[in-house]
Amino acid sequence: MRRLLTLREGSIVVVTILAIAYFAVANDRFLTSANFKTLLPYFAPFAILAVGEVMLMVAGEIDLSIGSVYLFAPFMFYEFHQLGLPLVVDLLLCLVCAALIGALNGVLTAVVGISSFIVTLGTLLGVGGLTLIISGAAPVAMPGAEVHTTTESVKKVVNGHTITLQEQVNHVGGFARVFGAGIYSELIWALLAVALLHVVLRSTRWGMYTVAVGGNRHGAAEAGIKVRSIVIRNFVLCALLAGFVGVLEAMRASSVTPDTAGASETMFRAVSAAVIGGTLLAGGEGTVVGALLGALFLGVLRDGLVLDGVSADYLDFILGFAILIAMAVNIYVGRVRKGSGHA
Amino acid sequence: MPETEGDDDVLRVEHVSKRFGAVTALRDINLHLRRGEVLGLLGDNGAGKSTLMKIIAGFQNPDEGRIVVKGEQVSFRDVDHARSLGIDCVYQDLALVNELDVVQNMFLKRELVSRPIPLLARRVMRERTREALERIGINIPRLDVPVARLSGGQRQAIAVARTVTSEADVILLDEPLAAMGAKEGAMILDLVQQLREAGEVSIIMIAHNYVHVLQSCDRVNLIQGGEITFDKPTADTSVEELNEIVVEEYRRARRAAQAG
Repeated sequence: MRRLLTLREGSIVVVTILAIAYFAVANDRFLTSANFKTLLPYFAPFAILAVGEVMLMVAGEIDLSIGSVYLFAPFMFYEFHQLGLPLVVDLLLCLVCAALIGALNGVLTAVVGISSFIVTLGTLLGVGGLTLIISGAAPVAMPGAEVHTTTESVKKVVNGHTITLQEQVNHVGGFARVFGAGIYSELIWALLAVALLHVVLRSTRWGMYTVAVGGNRHGAAEAGIKVRSIVIRNFVLCALLAGFVGVLEAMRASSVTPDTAGASETMFRAVSAAVIGGTLLAGGEGTVVGALLGALFLGVLRDGLVLDGVSADYLDFILGFAILIAMAVNIYVGRVRKGSGHA
Repeated sequence: MPETEGDDDVLRVEHVSKRFGAVTALRDINLHLRRGEVLGLLGDNGAGKSTLMKIIAGFQNPDEGRIVVKGEQVSFRDVDHARSLGIDCVYQDLALVNELDVVQNMFLKRELVSRPIPLLARRVMRERTREALERIGINIPRLDVPVARLSGGQRQAIAVARTVTSEADVILLDEPLAAMGAKEGAMILDLVQQLREAGEVSIIMIAHNYVHVLQSCDRVNLIQGGEITFDKPTADTSVEELNEIVVEEYRRARRAAQAG
């Protein structure tokens, strides 16, 4: 326990375990594989968004526009597909669009010198609006995610007799299964993103420079670190991940609606996951694994409350207070950790 | 008035000027540093000492003038460029990152990475850090703690250590004793003395304490109002002379203020 608490992620681990334990006791349907599958979309996409946000927040910046980039990318995917391009190319091109928005955020912040909060508030609205214009405010079906239903014969053993049943089976293309539509697709992508960025933040020059830029920007520049380049690169990374998650989610749902309000809520949940996970808004400190756990905590909370039959009207009310309590516990456990002499 | 400049100058600053908006920070600065020499740079706050250091370190560009390193005129693109020519600086604000640990700060922008995947080579860097700190006699018990936990003197020691143990042969020290107690300060002065005796590096040291400058430096330059107004070997000057010049400047400033 002591060892666990000395980890930067220690506090959110404890808080998440407490939440899981509570729901497991309160509801016997919580710890089932069926519910695990229900839980996945509640947290996997937010985990990917949150780890991108962690990199930026460690660098001392924030990206609010991820909500709109997340919404914008699948519509661009659709538009590129309308040009007759193959799915993989559509994906690459829409990610390029996302990266360009990230680069714009980065340049306006690091070169022009506008605060990233304002810059990305601007691009949140602007790109959201652009999405409405492109889509004509109408939803589209995601290319490649069309569901084909076939009737198949399935052999089953019932009471010792083998019988043949006709069953309706849904099929979706391989591309869609890999990029969001497969049950574990988002989870696998989330784990990949977390593993990769954890290593980047902890064990590469880029990660070290990101901490330096967020911790002591002037000192980092004096040491010779290219501060602007680090900030811009992290904005691009954050936007790329947001665009990618947008495509995953659209593929999972097989269609996408230009819902800008929902996009902003997605952004707020991702930022919350990063902060709950132990990343400072002030920069210099943060953890990628913590962001995954923060997203998991928010997912468990939402899923658990829904499973408990909490009315939709009460859901956000309870979630809000649960987040505050979690943060308070987080800070308390953090003090215990600091007292132990570890960072 | 710079004295004779010879071929053994490892660094020359010629006619360098720098303005920040309406403020002229440096006015036609001429300064030279001989191989193996320790040059003390004195001057009031705001006289332009730190700006000059930042220009020599490649952190800022001069508006006019040129810099000659080892006989070749250079125009620094950035700090890395100056460092690649052997110039490294301990800034007044130390340029440490509180959130990074001792080893990471020691190797900030000088990291060692593995191949082919460029991951930080932590073990090698920790080993080298321990060796470097031991060599210059600084005791920091734990190298894996964020430097925010260290004392002001320890932090300063790390900033100095990372520069003097680098490949640099021109070292700029911008008030290296600022945050130090007497004991730690003496350690840094000892270190400068060792480097001076070894004669392998040349040092420009900004300081406020005349006694330290006369003890540790071969020559002293005084910078006043963005200009070098005094240049003598420390053997030919004294605390009294330096004091008199500065007091005179202070008197003039007061007269000017009263007249204004």
